[in-house]
Parts: sequence; structure tokens; C-alpha cells
Amino acid sequence: MILTGSKIETEVAKGHIKIDPFDKQLVNPNSYNYRLGDQLLVMPGLIDAKQQPKTQEIRIPEEGYVLQPNTIYLGYTYESIGSDLYVPSLIGRSSLGRLGLFLQITADLGNLGTYHKWTLELKVVQPLRVYHKMRIGQVSFWKPDGIEMLEKGYTKLPDNYAKYSMSAPSQVKKFFE
Amino acid sequence: MILTGPHIQQQVESGSIVIEPFDPHLINPNSYDFRLGNTLMVYEDHILDSKKINPTKIITLTDEGYTLQPDTLYLGHTQEVIGSETYVPIIRGKSSTGRVGLFVHITADLIDIGSIGQVTLMLHAVQPLTVYPGMRIGQVTFWKTLGDIQLYQGKYQGSVGPMSSQVYKDFVAS
Repeated sequence: MILTGSKIETEVAKGHIKIDPFDKQLVNPNSYNYRLGDQLLVMPGLIDAKQQPKTQEIRIPEEGYVLQPNTIYLGYTYESIGSDLYVPSLIGRSSLGRLGLFLQITADLGNLGTYHKWTLELKVVQPLRVYHKMRIGQVSFWKPDGIEMLEKGYTKLPDNYAKYSMSAPSQVKKFFE
Repeated sequence: MILTGPHIQQQVESGSIVIEPFDPHLINPNSYDFRLGNTLMVYEDHILDSKKINPTKIITLTDEGYTLQPDTLYLGHTQEVIGSETYVPIIRGKSSTGRVGLFVHITADLIDIGSIGQVTLMLHAVQPLTVYPGMRIGQVTFWKTLGDIQLYQGKYQGSVGPMSSQVYKDFVAS
């Protein structure tokens, strides 16, 4: 079951969902709008799934930054988001989809028990100027079955992303170790 | 929880789900197929700005179809008016359209509860692809909610045809 906006709000008030900073104005009928952090990472050159990708950092200036097609930009949510009880799904907003901006590359599902700024995988169809702190995507929360089977304070997964507070590059090479 | 196809049909008949026109042949085991409407919208400028109004132009589809190009974003729409005040709709492509490299939305599959209208599709083709009006292009699922419902009253309510982004309004408001 998907949580309605008012349920998200009451669960934030109870501490069952953490969204920091939280702003009531950003609650939708069945999701919460997150904002864009000020840093992007790009991975120049050929990316090899077995190697740690080289990254370059871009700061989004006041006047915004134009994303170019054929490039993956790793961004991050301005907010720290997570829950021990509800599964987050981070997607884009229709307002940005209507401008051709992907916020995730078929990996919208978050893990229970992880609380941090989430890495976004930005890709555009046409060049698009984006701005720091703009409302860029939305997160929905889902009630899982079998929550009692998880240990309290479960944070085992995912191994290396949880500690990041900025855009975290792919750890896909670990799958080969 | 996701609704099964027969449950979707039952809820359409009882009025809790709006799919108009509704054709029982388009029901799947756990979704309903929607069709492509005959209007596409493209932006006049190649470089877009999320803070500004980006001017658009209309392309009307004919039975000969229209070839989508990979470097261009096309806004389309469902032929059907879709929505619910009880369930949350989530749209997706069909595996048949995915297999030819067509995205029907751009990471915005979630529809607000209470939003009722022709759904704007965000069409992006990985390789050039010819599409046709009336073709089955995607599917909509319906999900049960948890918590009090406050209905959508946003800027895209009651959409007819494709609606371009109104995100510039966020910047005026903040």
C-alpha cells in the first residue's frame, strides 16, 4: 500500500519517516517533493563496470547549470530521507519529466532502514538548465509485508552507500569481487 | 497492494476508477492498456530551462504514423481520461513498446490521487521509432492507499491533450 500525503506527514511527526529538512508545502496527495543538492558528479571517458569510475565534480552556480544529453550526472537530494517502516521509492516529477529529465535510471527503489541524502541519476533528452534547491523529484513510501521479520535498526544493506551525504559514485565493481 | 484486472473493471463500473472510454478488451491480469492520442507536442527550442516558459508546437498524428527521433522529447497523451479518487494510478510502458526502445514516461509514473484527465505521456525513443494514433502504448495500474486522502488540486487537473511543464511556476512561488 502507498502512503497518502497526510499519512506521510503524520509518520514524519511520529519519527517513523525521516525527511530533513521537512516542509509541509512539499507534500503531495501521495508523495513528497525533494529538492536538488548543489553538487553533480560526471564520469568522463569510458566507464568499465569492473573499475572504479573516475569522477569530476560540478557545483551548480546561482544561474543554474545546463545538463547535456548522453551524459549521466549524479546529483543528490537536498534532504536526508529514510524510514525503518516504509519502503521509499524515489522518482521524478511530472513537471520535470515533461522537460525530459530522468531522475533515476530504472532504480527507484530504496532500502528500508537507510537514511541519507539519496544519489540521483540525472539524464536529459534535450539540454536542460536546472537550479540548486529546485523541487526536482518526488519520493513515495510503501508499507511492506513482513516488517516484523527485520531486526530493529536494520542497516545492513546497502553496504557502502548509506554513509554518503553527497552524490555517491557507483560501487558496481564490488559485484565482481 | 495492486488491483487485479477484474477488480479494475469492477471499480470502473462502480465509478471509483475513471477510464473513459473503457474497453474490457484492454484489461490485463493486473493493469489496463491505454492508447496513444493523436496529438504530440514538442518544444520549439532545443535547450530548455526549468525556470522559464518553454514555447511549444503541436504535431497532429495521422494514420501513416510519425517517427520519433532519439534527440527530441515528445509529449503525447492518452486517448482515455484516467484517474481515481480512491486508488493511486501508476503508468508504465508495455513490454511490447519497451522492447522497441520507447519510454512513455520519464521517471514520473506516479499519478496523484484525485487527478483525472488525459495523462500526458513523455515519449523518448532510444532509436527512431514510428508510432501511430490509437495504438496501445502503455498500461495503468491502480494501488490501494494507506492514510487519509486529500485529492489533487494541482496545475495539471483535467488535462486534455498533452500539457507542457508548468514547473516555472515553482520559481515564481518561492
